[in-house]
Amino acid sequence: MIALHVPGDSVLHRAPAGIKLLALFVLALAVSLYPHDLPSLGAAVGVVVALHLAALLPPTTLPKQLWQTKWIVVVMVATQLAFLTPWDALVNTVRVVSIVLLAGLLTLTTRSEDLLEALETGLRPLTRIGVDPRRVGLTLSLAIAMLPVVAGIAARVRDTERARGVRLGPRLVVPVLVLALRHADDVADALTARGVD
Amino acid sequence: MSDAREIALEEVTVRLDGRSILEGVTVRLDARRIAVVGANGSGKSTFARLLNGLATPTSGTVRVHGVDVGREPRRARAEVGFVFTNPDAQVLMPTVAEDVRLSLRGSGMARAELDARVAEVLADYGLTSHADAPVYSLSGGQKQLLALASVLVRRPRLVVADEPTTLLDLGNAQRIGRILLDELDAQLVLVTHDLELAQRCDIALRFHEGRLVAVGEPAEVVDAYRREYA
Repeated sequence: MIALHVPGDSVLHRAPAGIKLLALFVLALAVSLYPHDLPSLGAAVGVVVALHLAALLPPTTLPKQLWQTKWIVVVMVATQLAFLTPWDALVNTVRVVSIVLLAGLLTLTTRSEDLLEALETGLRPLTRIGVDPRRVGLTLSLAIAMLPVVAGIAARVRDTERARGVRLGPRLVVPVLVLALRHADDVADALTARGVD
Repeated sequence: MSDAREIALEEVTVRLDGRSILEGVTVRLDARRIAVVGANGSGKSTFARLLNGLATPTSGTVRVHGVDVGREPRRARAEVGFVFTNPDAQVLMPTVAEDVRLSLRGSGMARAELDARVAEVLADYGLTSHADAPVYSLSGGQKQLLALASVLVRRPRLVVADEPTTLLDLGNAQRIGRILLDELDAQLVLVTHDLELAQRCDIALRFHEGRLVAVGEPAEVVDAYRREYA
């Protein structure tokens, strides 16, 4: 789920990206470690809703974000019900969905370049062991930007499939992969041409 | 880079997997607007890619404004902007302003100066209201404008455009053509199938099966090209 930045002037929008990243880390840790009881679950959901309200985003944003987690919910509930009690499955799913929604809120209220700058600053100490923070930041940006491109490639292949009256089924992945790799070549050329290789 | 606005290829041959893509191209060009025409697979895109080091000659030398591109590709790329046919392949960042800013990455500019330069370029190309928009939400024409803005924000001395209007509708193609031919200060190498655009350049080159077969007045080069398919 990639929630792109929605411009705004709320406290959350104005807060420094580094602080928000740190807060997400702390909240994610707290949500992961809270006790398995109803008040804790209520508190997690309350924090998610309160922060979304504080961000002054359009009212449909949270329901949309929640809807986008549907497959996470389905997969988590289905797999956990096989091994755990329904209550444990519910607790774990609420935990993960809360963290995903908080991460989504971070990207909704923070320009990705500010986020990457904060990440690059945070990774700077790792330069001593050979990590290039700028390269890590660029890689993450590219990954975010390429998701809709790959989705577009898949849609194009599906259209071609329909137009030609064939059903590739799981084999659909082959042309998608070939086109995605070709696009990767083009991106490499563009990086070189733009002097950011 | 020297002040001379000269592109010089000396006996340039490009071979790929044993196949000849360009063969013995020697040419010196100092016109401001240079059109490159020819059939698909004639070698014109390879010629364009040689100019900023995206393609490497198997033999021969390519010099752009005094810089040997083969020896100093980074220095050449700093001065040569490249516009691809498909903006989807060139636009790399999640949002419009970020993509323009990417071009200035590592430029050493102060943040305020960088912000001002990005804002100026976005305004020049009518993209200000899309600054924070995801790039995938742009139309094809807007994406090509963004691709162009991302190249021009670096203020290159040479812009190489490889069929930049091929995927665009008439209105957007005309707008991109107008920007490249009428508004650009930099030298231009325009690879195109649009023969009207080619005729508005100062000189035209024609490639055929990997060889440079004509250099001269655009009207004459284009006429000869048309006659061949008449």
